[in-house]
Amino acid sequence: MNVAEFAKENKIGIAGVAVLLAAAAIAAVAMDLPLWDIVTVGFVERSFQAATPIALTAIGGLYAEKSGVFNIGVEGFMIFGAATAATMMWIISGGDPGQSDIWLAILASMLVSLVLAILFAILMIRYEADQIVAGLALWFIGLGFGPFMAVLVWDSRNSPSLESINDLTIPVLADIPVLGPILFDTSPLVIATAILAVVAWKVLNDTKYGYWIQAAGENPEALDTAGVNVTRVRYAAVIFSGVMAGLGGAVLLAQAGSFTGSGQTMVGGRGWIGIVAYLFGNYNPLGAGVAALVFGGLDMLQIQLQTVGIEVPNRLVNLFPYVGVIIVLSVWGSTRTPSAVGETYESEE
Amino acid sequence: MSGTSGRLYDALDRAADRMLRASVFERLAIATASTALALLIGVSIVAAVGYDPVQFITSLIEGALGGRSAIARTLRFSTLFILTGVAVAVAFRAGVFNIGVQGQFVVGGITTIMSIIWLAPLLPEGVVGGVALIIIGTLAGTLAGGAYGALPGALKAYADANVIITTIMLNFIATGVVGWLVQNPLRGEGNAAPNTERIPEYVSFPRIVFDSSGFSIIGLGIALATVVVIYVVMERSRFGYDMVTSGHQESAATYSGVSAKQTVVSTMALSGMVAGIAGAVFAIMIQGYYTDPSGIGTYGFDAIAVSLLAANNPLGIIPAGLLFGGLESAGSHIGIYTDVPVQLIDGVIGLVILFVAVPELFRMAAARTGLGGDR
Repeated sequence: MNVAEFAKENKIGIAGVAVLLAAAAIAAVAMDLPLWDIVTVGFVERSFQAATPIALTAIGGLYAEKSGVFNIGVEGFMIFGAATAATMMWIISGGDPGQSDIWLAILASMLVSLVLAILFAILMIRYEADQIVAGLALWFIGLGFGPFMAVLVWDSRNSPSLESINDLTIPVLADIPVLGPILFDTSPLVIATAILAVVAWKVLNDTKYGYWIQAAGENPEALDTAGVNVTRVRYAAVIFSGVMAGLGGAVLLAQAGSFTGSGQTMVGGRGWIGIVAYLFGNYNPLGAGVAALVFGGLDMLQIQLQTVGIEVPNRLVNLFPYVGVIIVLSVWGSTRTPSAVGETYESEE
Repeated sequence: MSGTSGRLYDALDRAADRMLRASVFERLAIATASTALALLIGVSIVAAVGYDPVQFITSLIEGALGGRSAIARTLRFSTLFILTGVAVAVAFRAGVFNIGVQGQFVVGGITTIMSIIWLAPLLPEGVVGGVALIIIGTLAGTLAGGAYGALPGALKAYADANVIITTIMLNFIATGVVGWLVQNPLRGEGNAAPNTERIPEYVSFPRIVFDSSGFSIIGLGIALATVVVIYVVMERSRFGYDMVTSGHQESAATYSGVSAKQTVVSTMALSGMVAGIAGAVFAIMIQGYYTDPSGIGTYGFDAIAVSLLAANNPLGIIPAGLLFGGLESAGSHIGIYTDVPVQLIDGVIGLVILFVAVPELFRMAAARTGLGGDR
């Protein structure tokens, strides 16, 4: 698929982003706001970082849904991902984590997510769980056991300050104005996510496996007739979505540098926002990435408003992403879901 | 034409009736098995991380039922779980996934408190004024909860926005906005903590039967009365019938002249109203003021488990609410008297929901062991 085709298939999403940006710009000009003091290089860089966990979760979630299984448990996987990454980082390093411990912790957290995702996939596919209720359940299990792990390790729902990931500076390229600091002097996790989004897009649209996943969600009978095991494809997609959401949680933790388990935990709805991101991105990994960036930007707007002296209480500014989600869903609510989503498939062998 | 739709109704009615009756035993078995399995996993985790499981079980029972004050505490939580559980059941029964009961509960609660505080100077002090303020406050909370529920309903009906996601977002928004309100404009004068003023002393439920702070048998009475009203509306009224059919048989409902769009909005409004009543009871009976909602219990979330455990049947909510009241009460006892982290109870509640979602798991297990497996 080339750029023109991409644009054609994602008309709604692209138009949506354009309209949002235009509305924001018009509002800023109308209210006589210093637009270029708000949209700074630092803001874009922070927005990319805030978008990373959302994008990872969204990419996984859309694979599952494309294959015909609605994994709304991603919020729960993110909480588990963040909590295991935090506790693992602490345990591996013996209480004094460094940069390498972060990578080990992310890896360990992905392994734990893998185990959970396999169990979840078995319940969803083998035992035909109600996908919505089971997904919600996983969120609640995460809300309980995530902070539970923190209490076991630190005697508190919140961890002490751990280690957060350093920026990766690529010499020379980092000195390019504007693009340099955004792309070549940023968290390696941002770069990895960008690469992953492109790969996920390629795989979904240009490989045999991608077609299998799409067929499992659109026309499982045809896929079965072609001799491909639908159940296996769905297992792979659901397990992938769980691991990606767990990774999203681990990345969130690696950026924050400490675990917060009070209230709705540090994940705070990012898994749900990830689901909206892929709906908004029309089930396209790149579109989902762009949508995640929009939500990441809303999340980071607070610092920008403060620097230009607009006094909006933090508590209210923090709600921007949630309000953004409702607006996006209401204006672009009717995306076309794959036709066999939510239906269990039984081969007639 | 009316004959056709009449027959259709009868057929649907019979089918629904049969479904309900035939599976009551099975549903009960699944609910019991889910709870037992979730508790078993909880106890195993307690043992695995090095606590004494026997002591854990003992304090679980002690915390729920050990003595008059423990029972009052259990009933206090049960009151809230029954009310919020019914709120969830109304929506789920009609096929609308209202995950926003927590937000509607919060909006209802703060509205109750503020309307009482603002109107108190206008009314006489004492019993008469107290009763009047309770009624006005509860009505205001009910309406506010209903409006906050109708909003995502309208977004679903007229903009096709997924209710699960909009209601979750509205929970965050309610918590954030109310949290900010009690910190700033609505903060009681001279309060160090981010709380509103207290409502007057005489605006409270009488302490009959249990002399316990934070629990009055009146609150439980309101909860049970709400269950009965909702049961009658859902099972015996035309409105309830339309709600349930349009949730499960949208085309059949449309043929008989029911607007699916209006039904979604009114379902969500009714669900939000019940959540508003829950918020009012919480505000008047337990708190007496309002505080940052991120610190109050997650009754609206746990209510989802209560409702699912009761198979979304209003009458089933009563035992399910009592069970959860017991669990929550045991949780606070465990939090005070043992080292086991209370978050475990939240996790166990999540496991209960998970297992309720997978009836096939138990059917297969039953078939394997030869226990009543008819599949």
